[in-house]
Amino acid sequence: MMADHADWIQFARRLSRRGFIQGGIGAAAGAGAALGTGLWTPVFADDETRRSSGVPLPIPHRTFIPFGPDSVATVGVHFYFPGTVDGQASPTDPFGPHTEGRDPSTVTNFDGFIGQVDAKFNGTGRNTRTGATAPYSFHTDTRFMSGEFIASDEHRHRGTLAFI
Amino acid sequence: MWTTKVPDGSAKVDLDEGEAILKLENLSTVFDAFTVPNSFNTGHPLGFVGGVIDSLRIHWHGPSTTEAAPPLGASFSGTFKLTSANIELEIRTPATKPPFTPTPQDGFEFVADPTTTVTAFAQIGHERNGSLK
Repeated sequence: MMADHADWIQFARRLSRRGFIQGGIGAAAGAGAALGTGLWTPVFADDETRRSSGVPLPIPHRTFIPFGPDSVATVGVHFYFPGTVDGQASPTDPFGPHTEGRDPSTVTNFDGFIGQVDAKFNGTGRNTRTGATAPYSFHTDTRFMSGEFIASDEHRHRGTLAFI
Repeated sequence: MWTTKVPDGSAKVDLDEGEAILKLENLSTVFDAFTVPNSFNTGHPLGFVGGVIDSLRIHWHGPSTTEAAPPLGASFSGTFKLTSANIELEIRTPATKPPFTPTPQDGFEFVADPTTTVTAFAQIGHERNGSLK
């Protein structure tokens, strides 16, 4: 069910400057992984009558990714890999089908619009010290959630969140 | 840890037309940790660096297909459409040195060619989950 390690690295969305410096072509790259154990967000102050320390809460589902004993992935990360919401098997989800469905949101207690894309593309990387350039491939899973959600302060908030 | 708040108005959706746009600029809260395994390793052996998305524009567009509904009993509900997408991206990471990284690292910039986008999966939708289902 699990892709091999090389595939995981390929799935990685991190720009590898080390690979770039070595002149690699098609190195694993990306704007950002987005597989939080929790959610990193600034404090919300979207209520005119009070300041709030509420943060959005992650969906209950956890995906366990084998990135080693020191990895937060060993306790699971709160997301589903991309795939249809009916939970059928998807080439973009190495964990197979999900009988409970596949929620594209990373935020729970949410009511709003979502967008999700898993895509590969190419581009040019540049070492900012030497000016050397090289072609890079890029693989990303990027999402947004825009609407209302009940945060950790148990109050409704409105806003847009990006999973990048 | 990488779900982050972005300015209101960053996302626009026309679900009927199967179209959406996410547009972000100068987003400096992204935590770049070089590789996914390094990001998930709490010791971050390759170090820390804050990446910057100078600009990101994702366009979800048709032709779109309405998806089958989530299973009965799912923790979420809604209407979803499969689409295609194009991505425009410019990002950079600064040069770093110890103690933030084990060794000095040069800065890096990347500019995507949106014409090369190959969509493996893309969808837009309107959903309710958790206690708001």
